[in-house]
Amino acid sequence: MSEETTSNAKKFIVPIGPQHPALKEPGHFEFTVDGEIVTGAAVRLGYVHRGIEKGCEQNTWVQDLYLLERVCGICSHSHATAYVLGVEKLAKVIVPPRAQAIRTLFLELERVHSHLLWLGVAAHEGGYDTLFMYSWRDRETVMDILENLSGNRVNYSANLLGGVKYDVDQKQSDEIRKGIDFLEERTKYYLNVVTTDETFLGRTRHVGQMTLEQAQALDAIGPTARASGLQRDVRVDAPYAAYTDFPIKLVTANGGDLEARFIVRINELFESYRIIRAILDNLPEGELTARMPRRIPEGEAISRVEAPRGELFYFLKSNGSDKPERVKVRTPSLCNWASVTHLAVGHVLADMPMMLAGIDPCFSCNDRSVTIRKEGDSQAWTWEELRRYGIEYYK
Amino acid sequence: MNLPIPPVIALLLFPGGIFLLGYGMIYEFVDRKLVARFQNRIGPRWFQPLADWVKLLAKEEIIPDGVNAGLFLALPVVALAGALTAALYAPVAGWIPSFSFRGDLVVTLYLLSMMTLCIGLAGANTLDRFSIVGATRALTQLFSYEAPFLLAILGPAIAAGSWQISDINAYAHSNLWMIVYQPIGFLVALIGLMGKLELPPFDAPEAETEIVSGALTEYSGRGLALFKIGRNVELVVGLTLIAAFYLGGLANPLEFILKTLALLLLTAGLQSLFARLRIDQTVGLWWRIGAIVALVQLLAILAGQALQAVL
Repeated sequence: MSEETTSNAKKFIVPIGPQHPALKEPGHFEFTVDGEIVTGAAVRLGYVHRGIEKGCEQNTWVQDLYLLERVCGICSHSHATAYVLGVEKLAKVIVPPRAQAIRTLFLELERVHSHLLWLGVAAHEGGYDTLFMYSWRDRETVMDILENLSGNRVNYSANLLGGVKYDVDQKQSDEIRKGIDFLEERTKYYLNVVTTDETFLGRTRHVGQMTLEQAQALDAIGPTARASGLQRDVRVDAPYAAYTDFPIKLVTANGGDLEARFIVRINELFESYRIIRAILDNLPEGELTARMPRRIPEGEAISRVEAPRGELFYFLKSNGSDKPERVKVRTPSLCNWASVTHLAVGHVLADMPMMLAGIDPCFSCNDRSVTIRKEGDSQAWTWEELRRYGIEYYK
Repeated sequence: MNLPIPPVIALLLFPGGIFLLGYGMIYEFVDRKLVARFQNRIGPRWFQPLADWVKLLAKEEIIPDGVNAGLFLALPVVALAGALTAALYAPVAGWIPSFSFRGDLVVTLYLLSMMTLCIGLAGANTLDRFSIVGATRALTQLFSYEAPFLLAILGPAIAAGSWQISDINAYAHSNLWMIVYQPIGFLVALIGLMGKLELPPFDAPEAETEIVSGALTEYSGRGLALFKIGRNVELVVGLTLIAAFYLGGLANPLEFILKTLALLLLTAGLQSLFARLRIDQTVGLWWRIGAIVALVQLLAILAGQALQAVL
């Protein structure tokens, strides 16, 4: 112990977080540096743990939909979709095709807004504020589309158990097409910027390079993995909602560096535009909802959705009542941390914000209740103990 | 333009002192507004720099543990004083410099470097890790841009055959604009000034996404206000020097305003065009390209003069 303390004292550790201008949400990263070179990285999460999984067990299946939509502000619809797909599987309810198509429409619009948001954040981390401002300005187009469809900019609340809440009429459809045409032009411009701007390439090319083998070993998912050439996308591997009718083309790149991650995400935008147009052209007619029972039959279900950041995994267990027995959420950001801490070593400190942003992390949705840096092993806590701990912690 | 100004007024009111502080704020506003408009933002209102400054002055100044308090308090004052003193030798507002002697160009350049030195010392003085990294970067950057910047400023001095700023100004005024036959020197000087002022893309020493506010992280209240205003003054003095040397001299206030604003427009454009350079990229850029082209420029000037002497 004492030996460890002395070696720690000699290290020069640059802490990033929990409060730091580079972070939009609280997380803690410790970078051990030798001059500007990073020799070690550690991550500590859990600052915004909200106990949502446990909260789900106390609410009904319908109420949980609203709770789970608030797990993440950016990919709210992905969470809601993963949840309703699982519940519908448990209840063996067939959802009308029009509802599935509208769900998919929202999913892709959400991907567009999330990827444009990420483009801005990543550019800001690299000190390229002009790109940040431009991409966020254009992102307003898709935010307006979402507001026009659902009345909300962030938590659209489009899903219901057994269907969707909002229909898309001809006028809205025309407006979406107009917005998408504009965004496609802008996206071409951004692809040009991130692949040709010399100063920007200096910050992204060969930075944070992850090989295909590393991506597999570190279990990277989502665009982070696809940038290393890993063929992994739930929309392709196990199509859900309307992705069977509107198949998606897998977008990958081979560089594995930050530049490749920019390219993959921007190319995914083009794919999203194509799917959105296809859905609007071939929107099936019919009902928006199917009838759902209040009590969900006993059983277990797994549901997977490709959120903008990667595979979102839901495990649902029902005991036959109107409340779930267990809801387990695994968000994509959680899977990609290993790639950051592993690849950080050997890079310079200036690359760290961009590498952190490179996986498009979402802190609050991946925070788990894990007791760390305590003596002894992790332990199972009862709800009462956890509650008391929470009260003590925040006193 | 040359009206006799008593030294006390020159020092405190015009062209030094109060005038320079106010003028620096106006330029900060113009710079912020231009960058904002280039980035498709609205930008600040015209009195924002003044409001920021007054607010900072009114705030509590916290002296962190583990610093040398005297040094901590003195450094912002020295930095501002250095910038203000440098202004006395420059043809600010198109006036003949208030003070002048042979070789004042060298003194002015040293005084302009005081700011960076003070920022470096301020960072090294505190125990804060962000400050120390920021100070290291600020001083590393100093060593990279300073030599090319010096060479670029010496070009006009050699052409004019004098090391006195007022002489070079007069020479530039009566001859062809030096930007025409020393374009490289002009660019190096302008970009060097951006490096000096830690403007984007040379803002690695205060990259907020990495090291919060760099060397000035621990500064608050009065100290921070003085550093900020000092930087504004340095912006004005730097632009004045470059306009006087490369853009045909400054003979009256109108010329001064138009030429320095044109330069400010150029720097604002450069600020919004690029992503932030890493400190190793900054050093590489200056020593691999900046220093060499500045040297080539200098050799060309010398060769030209030798040729003229022969003919």
